[in-house]
Amino acid sequence: MIGNDIIDLSLAKTESNWKRRGFLEKQFTTNEQKLILAAKNSFVLVWKFWSMKEAAYKVYVQQNELRFFAPKKFNCLLTSEKKGFVHFEDQIFYTSSTVTQNYIFTVASLEKATEAYSKFVLPQTIDIMIKIKLEELTTFSAIEIEQKKSKNGAPFYYYKNILLTRSCSITHHGNYGVFSLLYA
Amino acid sequence: MNRKELITSLQKIVKPYVQDQEAFKNLSEETDFINDLKINSANLVDVILDVEDEFDIEIDNESMEKMLSVKAAIDIIEIKLADS
Repeated sequence: MIGNDIIDLSLAKTESNWKRRGFLEKQFTTNEQKLILAAKNSFVLVWKFWSMKEAAYKVYVQQNELRFFAPKKFNCLLTSEKKGFVHFEDQIFYTSSTVTQNYIFTVASLEKATEAYSKFVLPQTIDIMIKIKLEELTTFSAIEIEQKKSKNGAPFYYYKNILLTRSCSITHHGNYGVFSLLYA
Repeated sequence: MNRKELITSLQKIVKPYVQDQEAFKNLSEETDFINDLKINSANLVDVILDVEDEFDIEIDNESMEKMLSVKAAIDIIEIKLADS
């Protein structure tokens, strides 16, 4: 099971003000707040932690028919620049984040080493690009591949009644779109 | 403030974060902030902070968890206003 999240950093700059009173307190644990405030680039760490929480949440909602907004309950720990994990209730989600000047991208997984395939595409083309990728992998025609959504919005791809994705996560923000897949 | 007035104030609060204007025009109690209005989840906290400022109330973590729709938000605002 996987979940992903992309942050377009130039958009995050204008869309949200992380210095706003209450912003950090509502979403980040005391420990995360400390790390954010002590960081060389606090802005980047805010959004790195946020993308880790969001990606982990997206794994969680695929397993559970529940929606909620509790970012503070998703506790982030970084073990290296890239790797980390998110702790939520009795579960651990392993994360891998890529930070560039323009974006932050995180994939969260229940497995320590995940074989998820992720691809950056134009935000408007995510659905068709997933179908084309699945056509490549399965030889079923892309036009006959269908997206179905679970009750809480997690996407699954089918050819007729055959489930093609074990787990699929879609994210877009600003100029970026990314899909991540685990094949069935 | 009655429910209708609360919805009107809430509408003003969410407006700057809405990404689906069509859904915004048809806003009702059933409207979902993320699925319908396409509010970025990172902006949901701004909605909550704006609600706190506007109504001079405090939204605790437990209430915040449920604030995903107009109905849930109005229910919470009503309870908090009654308590204050």
